[in-house]
Amino acid sequence: MATTTVLTTESPDRWKYLNNILTRRGPYSDETFEPGDEPKAFLADLKIFGAGGLGCEILKNLALSGFKDIHVIDMDTIDISNLNRQFLFREADVGKSKAEVAAAFVMKRVRGVKITPFNCAIQDKDDEYYKQFKIVVCGLDSVEARRWINATLVNLVGEETLIPLIDGGTEGFKGQARVILPTISCCYECTLDMLTPRAAVPLCTLASIPRQPAHCIEWASVIQWPKEKGDLKIDMDDPEHVTWLYTKALGRAKEFNIPGVTYAMTQGVIKNIIPAIASTNAIVAASCCSEALKIATTASPYLDNYMMYTGDESVYTYTFQHEKKDDCPVCGNLPQALTVDPESTLEELMEKLQERPETTLKKPSLRTSAKSLYLQAPKQLEEQTRPNLEKQLKELMEEGDELSISDPGMPFNLRFIISFSS
Amino acid sequence: MSVPGAPTAKEKKYDRQLRLWGAGGQEALETAHILLINATAAGSETLKNLVLPGVGQFTIVDQAVVTDEDLGTNFFLDDSSIGLSRAQKACELLCELNPEVQGHFIKDTIENIVKSSPEKLKDFTTVIATGDVCTDTLLSLDAILYPLGIPIFVVKCVGFTMSCRLALAEHPIVETHPASTVDLRLFNPFPELSALVDEKTAFINDQEKMTTHEHGHLPYVLILLQTLNEWKSTHDNQPPSNYSQKNEFKSLLRSKMWNADEENFEEAIAAVLPHFNPPSIPSETRAIFQDEKCTSLTKESTQFWVIARAIKEFSEKNDGLLPLPGALPDMKAESKDYIRLQNIYKSKARADLAAVVGIVRDLLKGLGRDGGEIAESEVETFCKHAGYAKLIRGRSLNEEYEKSPKAQVISNELSDPTSLIHYYLGLRAYEAFISEQSNAQRTAPGAEDSTVDADTEKLKKHVTELLDKLSITYSSELLEGTEKAIGEIVRAGGGELHNISSLTGGVVAQEVIKVITKQYIPMNNTVLFDGISSRTTVYQL
Repeated sequence: MATTTVLTTESPDRWKYLNNILTRRGPYSDETFEPGDEPKAFLADLKIFGAGGLGCEILKNLALSGFKDIHVIDMDTIDISNLNRQFLFREADVGKSKAEVAAAFVMKRVRGVKITPFNCAIQDKDDEYYKQFKIVVCGLDSVEARRWINATLVNLVGEETLIPLIDGGTEGFKGQARVILPTISCCYECTLDMLTPRAAVPLCTLASIPRQPAHCIEWASVIQWPKEKGDLKIDMDDPEHVTWLYTKALGRAKEFNIPGVTYAMTQGVIKNIIPAIASTNAIVAASCCSEALKIATTASPYLDNYMMYTGDESVYTYTFQHEKKDDCPVCGNLPQALTVDPESTLEELMEKLQERPETTLKKPSLRTSAKSLYLQAPKQLEEQTRPNLEKQLKELMEEGDELSISDPGMPFNLRFIISFSS
Repeated sequence: MSVPGAPTAKEKKYDRQLRLWGAGGQEALETAHILLINATAAGSETLKNLVLPGVGQFTIVDQAVVTDEDLGTNFFLDDSSIGLSRAQKACELLCELNPEVQGHFIKDTIENIVKSSPEKLKDFTTVIATGDVCTDTLLSLDAILYPLGIPIFVVKCVGFTMSCRLALAEHPIVETHPASTVDLRLFNPFPELSALVDEKTAFINDQEKMTTHEHGHLPYVLILLQTLNEWKSTHDNQPPSNYSQKNEFKSLLRSKMWNADEENFEEAIAAVLPHFNPPSIPSETRAIFQDEKCTSLTKESTQFWVIARAIKEFSEKNDGLLPLPGALPDMKAESKDYIRLQNIYKSKARADLAAVVGIVRDLLKGLGRDGGEIAESEVETFCKHAGYAKLIRGRSLNEEYEKSPKAQVISNELSDPTSLIHYYLGLRAYEAFISEQSNAQRTAPGAEDSTVDADTEKLKKHVTELLDKLSITYSSELLEGTEKAIGEIVRAGGGELHNISSLTGGVVAQEVIKVITKQYIPMNNTVLFDGISSRTTVYQL
């Protein structure tokens, strides 16, 4: 058996199976792979970062892949509905920080691993912080957070720095894992158009012609709540708030003879709940961490660059190379084309943009190279530009103008070349 | 605080999965008892993914004691476990995951159980074999369980490679969870629907008698049906059949718009391609109707077959139509008009259901059984999914290995060096390598650096023996892919890599859940995964 000194602060046998892969060349191994102590040493020294709803699985997998220095960020606290899949948490942990509980558990179970937890948002850390990692593995649950970490790692690319981003996500029996080499292969932003556009229900349907139980629930949360509760924000996790919305929605449904409003559906609609199970999380997180191990050690070729897993009808995977986009606002350098109706107002344009995944932003500010069209902040500029919202686009811009959209949540600008629809 | 309809503590905990398989699926899971053979990393990870969603019970059979190597791959063992029973320690740490699950362990080998107390196996809902189990034992297990209808999963996980073989005798699925069960009956509207079309669309072309608001809120289903009537009157009473006719039909729809932003007409135009299909019974449903178990019911026929037969008879009496599922998609409309239309579809679905229930009762009585033994809710679920039901008839391990091997499936793939069939052959060779050793001191191929070359040759020999046995001809370059697969398998030295074991645990648990809940469609019957190229393939072997 191959002897090791680096990986094994414990017994020499502990990492025997992992060492088999690291000390022996495989038929598919890259020519540059040097089996032996070097990949093991590299693995032990490498700082790796994990985050997101797949965090429990990711931490376990990285620790049992031989990584020794792991950071984890999670701003969430443990909720009862996490327990069906986030296996490091128990009922007694409900309310505690996910990052801290998970880190403590894995360090106790897997000897020799150091996990540094942070109970904050990934956006709370700056470039200097992310620069220290060799690999970032994310199983984040929002598009916004994914776009942020992706853009941050692309921006960090320099002579010395290229941090691969390994990203995974799940929904029900389906999931995907992907490897992003910033500026070299297709990034998260390049593939945003793969997301299905949000099917937004028109406000007039909610207000006057509801037909579905979901319409009644959205009416309760979008129209009735602000009307009756004023500035109080809805807390999706407060059972009193959910019950209030459920009761209102039920009343609305009764008025219009609409069947099917339930408490579970109320929660599902207002929280945009995505079904999630342990097995799918396991598949996707393991796929991501396996790629991290392969990249860190070069023991075998890594995924280039996308795998989709579908388990609801037999087992089906689609593994393919997604193409990098020249006009990607994050990793490309060309603006995209955007056709607008010159007769529509700036406000209508902003509503339209919200329907497209790549332009769904929380607080977008819009500029052309000539002038500011609408700025969300500071207050004076917001007030100054607000009248533009009512104006028709033809008053504000010309064909061929470059429209630039920024958002405080995004470390990059979206750039568009405007053309008018006839 | 108690609100009617508010979730119970258990519903809160399982909320994210109940949205996938509902209370019925959960109930099936909670009454299941899983047998895991060997607490390998892949086996323990599989159980983890079943304990978390609340499987009723599990039992681990394993005679091994925990070694240091186990700790490098299996998260459900810790430092204090070393030297103790692997079945017991894994059972304990897995039970921590969910207090509602009962875990048991047996410190023994599956070989002994198969030989000395096979009757113990009959109490399990599903059996999962992992780790090094020799061929004879697998085939004995199969001979006991397959005839009883107890599904067996045989899972192999070596290095970057895994395979999972499911031996599932007969598996009917009603709740396949199709994307949509909508059937608008556009080509064969029932009388109540036609009456509503006449009532609501009489003035569709008359701006004097219909307001712009009314015109812009006509439900698109009614627009389509009215326009179809118009079309048929000039086309020999035939609906548009080919692509160009459908486009012509779309233009006709467009010509009826009063202004450019009538969303309901846009919805109608968008619905032409997906919904303009002549009614037919899907092939999977037809296969169920033609199955002998459907055509000749017996006193022992299961609920599935009795209801299937009733639906078959229903469709024979109703021009080949299946019972209406009754679902209606959302569409631009006034609330009251939409609800009225929805109720028309629902009433028709209820009437169809009542007819099928009647046939079910008669069938049961004819068989000398209690007419009420099948609940109406079961018939209703079947009626809603009649066009989406599926029957899987799997193959036993004995069929694959001895009685009727699928040599053609293998030989078809052999010349493709990227095919995952090479890993299948490599893992079969691995199994043969293990099986020819005595139980006590088995070693895996490539366990020591010094045996790598000799073991590689042995695996190659096992592959060629298998191909010869299956009468598959091959040339040396045909086996290039297989040699590489063997290279990877020997490289791992019989060891599991945690990530691949964890992924395997996820794949297998998904399949187990699908089989137990009888929801969604399990794979049939072998899935291979290659962790190097990150690909899977399913073969029917």
